[in-house]
Amino acid sequence: MRVIDLCEASEGTEVILATSSDEKYPPENIIDGNSATFWATTGMFPQEFIICFHRHVKIEKLTLQCYFVRSVRIDKSNAKEPVDFERWVERDLVHTEGQLQTEEFMFRDGNATHLRFVIKSAFDHFVSVHRVSIEGLNVSSLT
Amino acid sequence: MVKLAAKCILAGDATVGKSALAQMFRSDGAHFQKNYTLTTGVDLLVKHLAVPDTNDSVELFIFDSAGKELFSEVLEKLWEHPNLLCLVFDVTNEQSFSNCAKWLERVRAQLQGSSLPGVLVGNKTDLTGRRVVEASRAQEWAGSHGLEYFETSAKEMENFEAPFRCLAKLFHQLYRERLELFHSLV
Ligand SMILES: Nc1nc2c(ncn2[C@@H]2O[C@H](COP(=O)(O)OP(=O)(O)OP(=O)(O)O)[C@@H](O)[C@H]2O)c(=O)[nH]1
Ligand SMILES: [Mg+2]
Repeated sequence: MRVIDLCEASEGTEVILATSSDEKYPPENIIDGNSATFWATTGMFPQEFIICFHRHVKIEKLTLQCYFVRSVRIDKSNAKEPVDFERWVERDLVHTEGQLQTEEFMFRDGNATHLRFVIKSAFDHFVSVHRVSIEGLNVSSLT
Repeated sequence: MVKLAAKCILAGDATVGKSALAQMFRSDGAHFQKNYTLTTGVDLLVKHLAVPDTNDSVELFIFDSAGKELFSEVLEKLWEHPNLLCLVFDVTNEQSFSNCAKWLERVRAQLQGSSLPGVLVGNKTDLTGRRVVEASRAQEWAGSHGLEYFETSAKEMENFEAPFRCLAKLFHQLYRERLELFHSLV
């Protein structure tokens, strides 16, 4: 098995839920592989989005690019549906004026079918999430 | 088309008419509470507002807060991460005006760096003979603190929607500005 980009559209990965939706800045922008496009939150925190892989994957490395995020938690699930999430990692980010936040996470226990990102607090009234890239392995299809 | 959501803190001294204004606004002018019922802690009201000249809207979560000092500790917790401020005083009560500085400071202490769009409201303008705070003085103070000024009478249903419409507009503007900022990052 080979390490691949698990978010690539050809792999079938989708954002299936987001608590904010401005049709001009949809959550799909998070996994389109392009840092220039983004999903914007539109109100109070916490804010969430859920990534569904539609298969079992093993995540090795995750990179989050965003702006104004103060505190984020990532939960994961191994269920067929987006349920039974367990807390996985939580991190406080630093803010640098005018510079995209780029946060890397490395995992050994990366088996998942879904990821939930919870943006718990922010440095401003709104945040943007520009890109989530996830490297890992395809494990098996959902049965 | 986007629907924004904003936490709006409604603050000021006791009996200035915060709850009366909030109730009027929520009921579109159908309900004026004549008898005073003091607010303990916070009453939450939610109201949806269209932003003029756009397809966008703002859902205001109005935190109608107690003016009585007694509840101040509870408030600090409930006020976390505010988006907007509506500061109210009574134009017939000098102290309620001078206390605005204190209220402003307390709400702004909740912010960690970000700005807080807000309005100042002078209420009870129907009590013309008893006015002690002139509009020009209030206007000047508001301006020097980055707030827009409005005068209202909840009792006479005068202008009670204007401060909230302004807040929705300010929040929408802020959102637009942030989108531009996000675009400029990459
Ligand atoms: N004449 C006049 N009376 C008003 C007006 N607005 C409110 N009142 C009266 O002022 C009293 C206090 O109003 P509230 O809205 O309860 O005051 P509040 O600011 O919410 O007070 P707390 O909850 O204790 O902080 C009530 O008896 C209202 O009927 C107004 O525009 N004109
Ligand atoms: Mg009240």
